[in-house]
Amino acid sequence: MTDAQLDFETEALSYMDQLFAAALRMTRHRSDAEDLVQETYAKAFAAQDKFKPGTNLKAWLYRIQTNAFINTYRKKQRQPKVSDAEQVEDWQIAAAAEHTSSGLASAEQEALDQIGDDEIKRALADLPEDFRMAVYLSDVEGFAYKEIAEIMDTPVGTVMSRLHRGRKLLREKLREYAAERGIYDKRPATKKDSGEVCHARKGV
Amino acid sequence: MPGRECEEALDRLFEYIDDELPDDELRRIGDHLKTCPPCEAEHKIKEKIKNLTSRTGGDAAPEELRQRILASIRSARDDH
Repeated sequence: MTDAQLDFETEALSYMDQLFAAALRMTRHRSDAEDLVQETYAKAFAAQDKFKPGTNLKAWLYRIQTNAFINTYRKKQRQPKVSDAEQVEDWQIAAAAEHTSSGLASAEQEALDQIGDDEIKRALADLPEDFRMAVYLSDVEGFAYKEIAEIMDTPVGTVMSRLHRGRKLLREKLREYAAERGIYDKRPATKKDSGEVCHARKGV
Repeated sequence: MPGRECEEALDRLFEYIDDELPDDELRRIGDHLKTCPPCEAEHKIKEKIKNLTSRTGGDAAPEELRQRILASIRSARDDH
C-alpha cells in the first residue's frame, strides 16, 4: 500500500460522520442510511484511481453517495422525482412578491426564534427529494452552487431553482408549524401595515 | 433608482446569503439592505432559516458502521 493510498483512505474515512448525516437526510431511515454510506465507501475505494489528487475529495464522495442513492434508494422508496419543469425564471418573479410589510416580517422573525430543531428536521424531511438535497448541501454542508451542481449532476441554474423552491416550501412549512402552535398569525398584512411595504412593490 | 435596487436585492438575496456574488454586487446589495428596512427584514428571515437548517446535520455515524466499513476495506485490500 502506497502513502498516497493510505492518505486517500484516511482522508476519505474522515468524512464518514458527514456522509452518514447526509445519508440520513436523503433516505430518512437509519438502516438505509447505514447501507448507503457503506455502499458509498465500497464504490469510492473501488474507484479511487479515478480520483484526481488535489481536487475536492469531499465533493467527490458526495457525488458517489448521491448517485448511489438515486440508483438504489430512489427506486426502492418509490418516490417520484420532482420535475424541474418550472422555469428557472419563475422564482425570480416570485422573489418580488416576497417583499412583505415590516410588521408581518417581524412577526415571522419572532416565530422563527421559537422553532425547534425537530421542527426544522421535519420540515426538511417533508421536502421533495431534489429540493431537500440542494438545501442540505448548501445550508448544512456549505457547498458552493458549482459544487452542488457537480454533486447532483445538474446545471448551476437548476441548483439555484431547487434552492429557491426548496427554501420557499421550507418557509411555508415553518409558518404552518408556527401557526399550529399559535406563535404565528398567517393572515395577510392588515391595512395599517401597507404603508410600510417597500416603495418598489407599490401597485405591483 | 430605489425601485430597481429593491428588485435586484430581492432577486439576489439567496445568492447574497450563500456568498455567491462577486464583490461589487455583494457591496451594492449590502449597501441597499442598510437603507431599506423591508428588504433587510426579508434578508433577516432568509438568513435565519438558513441558520436554522444548518443545525440539522451533526448525526455521528454509528461505531458499528465504522467497524463494518473498516473491515470491508481491509478485506478488499487483502484481495489484491
